[in-house]
Amino acid sequence: MGGASRNDKKRRQEASDRRLAAAGIRPEAKSAPDRTPLIVVGAVVVVAVVVGLAVWFVNRPAAEAVAPAYASEVSGAVIAAGTGPVVIDVYEDYLCPQCERFAERYGDELTAALNRNEITVRYHAIAILDPLTNPEGYSTRAANAVVCSVPAGIFPAYHGWLFDSQPAEGSAGLTDEELIAAGTELGATGNFAGCVTGGTNSPAIAIETGTAAADPSLRGERGFGTPTVAIDGTKIDLNRTSWLQDAIAAG
Amino acid sequence: MQRYLVPDVMGTLARCGLAAVWLISGVLKAVDPDQTHVAVRAYDVLPEAGVEIVAAMLPWVEIALGVLLVVGAGTRVVAVASAAVLLVFIAGVTQAWARGLSIDCGCFGGGGAVAPGETAYVEELLRDTGLVLLAAWLIVRPRTLIALDTRGT
Repeated sequence: MGGASRNDKKRRQEASDRRLAAAGIRPEAKSAPDRTPLIVVGAVVVVAVVVGLAVWFVNRPAAEAVAPAYASEVSGAVIAAGTGPVVIDVYEDYLCPQCERFAERYGDELTAALNRNEITVRYHAIAILDPLTNPEGYSTRAANAVVCSVPAGIFPAYHGWLFDSQPAEGSAGLTDEELIAAGTELGATGNFAGCVTGGTNSPAIAIETGTAAADPSLRGERGFGTPTVAIDGTKIDLNRTSWLQDAIAAG
Repeated sequence: MQRYLVPDVMGTLARCGLAAVWLISGVLKAVDPDQTHVAVRAYDVLPEAGVEIVAAMLPWVEIALGVLLVVGAGTRVVAVASAAVLLVFIAGVTQAWARGLSIDCGCFGGGGAVAPGETAYVEELLRDTGLVLLAAWLIVRPRTLIALDTRGT
């Protein structure tokens, strides 16, 4: 609003007040604009933002990643990491966003427990989301690559890389070239490239996926999904954040 | 103030409706932060750091807006903020639809990719538009019954 129109408005307001006064009507005195609502709203929203950031900060995994110090071996499409007494079965699809969240949330905790030789983690390479990439089939290609990474000697690092670089559902997924390049960069030995392009483990992954999907003990409310974690054949409720510590204490 | 009773009641209903939606959607998102993160990421708009921040704060901001509407404090300001947030949601769903993404809005928890035949973009946009209309009423006429704003009148 320009100065001229503001003056104009003021003049008209005064004129109207004079007319009202002449008619014996006294307009209510206009007080300064009440800023209380703005302040209240601002304060409450600031509190909400602080709460949100605090929750995020507490749940955030430690910036310092735990270095893995355990051996792993592969059988079919199941990668057994470590040799500890508590055996944990983890079913992952490498395209599944919740699996990425699981790896982000519990990865360091699992690595630390593996390093202390408290647990054995059996990573089941699952491909249930093949139709969700275009072209289809990224889940199987990624699962194949992670199984290839074990004999190539880059397993835990490659598993972490797959989730860190997870493509979006509906995208094309990572190409075989990208899957191979990352392995080479991590120091893959042997014929890693041939294992990836040849889909060496794809049949084993299909069998493992079928077996897991048919296992009634792994079923959730909506059938079998990923990530699924089972200890002694019992599906774990991942909403209980202390599930790993509880299992180690009980085992 | 008898003659303003009808618009006052309508405004109060708009306020309570919007408050209920914010509280329910905020709480559902707050209790499952991982799911919220997945839902925000599925829109494929923000970089990872942006996804982290939005997923962390959104539930609490929604709850804050809901609480403010319940008590009726700064109704017009909250209605403006509500409309702004809703317009961002509408933009997010629209771009997902336009780009052919196949996602659930995650409006009330849940969210993330869904099978191509299971999207509900039309329903989601209609619902958000309805909520914008409730907010618009409160922006134009924030006077409602049983509100801190109108205490003492």
